[in-house]
Amino acid sequence: MMRVNADLYVKDVPGQLVAALEPVSIMEGNIVGVVHHRDQVMNDRIGVNITFDLEGGERLEKLMGIWKDRDVRVSRIGSVVEKFPMDYLLIGDISPSQLETILDEVRDMLGMESLDIRYSSVMESGSRTALINANFTSEENLSKAEDLIRELVRERDILAVRGLGV
Amino acid sequence: MSMDIVIAGFGTVGQGVAEAIGLRKDMIRETFGREARIVAAFDSRSAIHSEDGLDPAVLLSNKAAGQVGDEPLVDGVAFLESIDYDVLVEVSPTNIETGGAGLHHIRSALSNGRHVVTVNKGPLALAFGELDRLAKENGVEMRYEGSVGGAMPIINLCRESLMGQNITSVMGILNGTCNFILSRMDDGLPFEQALKEAQELGYAETDPSYDINGVDTACKVVILANSVFGIDCDYDDVDVSGITAITEEAVAMASDQNYCIRLIGEISPDRLEVSPRLISKGHPLSVTGTLNVAQVNTDLAGPISISGRGAGRMETASAILSDLLAIMRSNVNNK
Ligand SMILES: NC(=O)c1ccc[n+]([C@@H]2O[C@H](COP(=O)([O-])OP(=O)(O)OC[C@H]3O[C@@H](n4cnc5c(N)ncnc54)[C@H](OP(=O)(O)O)[C@@H]3O)[C@@H](O)[C@H]2O)c1
Repeated sequence: MMRVNADLYVKDVPGQLVAALEPVSIMEGNIVGVVHHRDQVMNDRIGVNITFDLEGGERLEKLMGIWKDRDVRVSRIGSVVEKFPMDYLLIGDISPSQLETILDEVRDMLGMESLDIRYSSVMESGSRTALINANFTSEENLSKAEDLIRELVRERDILAVRGLGV
Repeated sequence: MSMDIVIAGFGTVGQGVAEAIGLRKDMIRETFGREARIVAAFDSRSAIHSEDGLDPAVLLSNKAAGQVGDEPLVDGVAFLESIDYDVLVEVSPTNIETGGAGLHHIRSALSNGRHVVTVNKGPLALAFGELDRLAKENGVEMRYEGSVGGAMPIINLCRESLMGQNITSVMGILNGTCNFILSRMDDGLPFEQALKEAQELGYAETDPSYDINGVDTACKVVILANSVFGIDCDYDDVDVSGITAITEEAVAMASDQNYCIRLIGEISPDRLEVSPRLISKGHPLSVTGTLNVAQVNTDLAGPISISGRGAGRMETASAILSDLLAIMRSNVNNK
């Protein structure tokens, strides 16, 4: 799944906005936000900024084709980020500082879209739980990160409960 | 012309099979124009045989009084080799270290050109490849639908209904005991207490280790890997972790973020694994209670989910009945 943000210019006549948004649904995309820039006018067209999630690059190509056919101008398209989520619950002898050092390394090495870590308090047994949710920008980086976590888990007495993956 | 059946093992499932055959007697005759007859049955100590067929009701009442037969059973294989029959229903106890008596019974039947229907996971998890070859060499069928997921027809779904699909992976909850325990932990119970409740309700054995350590699920992973993916593997090839280390804090924390923890068996060409996994609530694999569920991921049809009761006398017998009838259908013109 990739998140796309695009600046479009559509004719300022009824029906044109629909003509710009509908193809996203045709490509089974999911519109996340639409912002009208009535103040941005160019050759009788007004600016619209849209954000949507789309599966795969091929669909984006097709979408661009449909916009072209429908006379929707694309002035900028970007922040194209495909997200690969990683969810982990770690149970056991977890040291937050060690875990964060590792995740910082992962972030520096592999780049992460987002990272969220939560901890439970420490139990009598000395065990605690950490829940990690991260998003990577490629499947390769995701699997490298998973390898690193697996290594951490093997070295210490930790049970890793991972998500179902992509 | 009849299809003559021997039932090896006359416990919960064996008795369910006898009952199911009795219940469906007329339906089978109408559909196939032939009868399905039980010609022999044996338990751990006794055997009974009649070329003319045995009344399921008599077998059930014999067993209720103690033993299924009046002949003492010395050796199951010798008994099987002394009688004539078409299909062996093998439902003796599972032994995943040696394959148990079941492995010998199945080998004997296949080598002698008899079809086999079983839900006994031991022989399948240890010797699937060998038994499958033996069946082919002897021109007979070995079917085992109820060995994975009980009443849930996962094997036939993959092999028959989804024919032509490229199945990329199967993920599933294949052990009702673990799922019951984890579901009760969702309600706030600690592991030990949830396990105790499962034992009190008869969902878990007195020795629950095969279930909670993931061994039972791993056997099912092996059966699916061999039968659906054609991966020649056995129990030792599966990466297994169980649910004993799951804490109530972990379950509560997962739940706060809208996840639950479930023991999942995963089979794909490059992964044979049993492990607890984080599942979003509402995902098809987030079922509660003793239910089993599987998600089959395919290239053309996308994901397909199926769920059902993973165990139980009549539930398991229903899967055996369906295998028996499939054998009857495919051999309808042979006799
Ligand atoms: N129960 C389920 O819901 C379920 C679901 C899926 C698969 N299965 C599998 O189905 C099989 C049977 O399960 P179950 O629940 O019916 O077990 P069960 O109630 O314990 O019955 C086992 C039966 O096998 C007999 N037996 C023991 N050793 C034998 C031997 N050497 N030769 C012949 N018979 C022998 C026992 O004899 P006695 O009666 O004389 O003790 C008993 O009748 C197992 O492999 C199990 O894993 C069960």
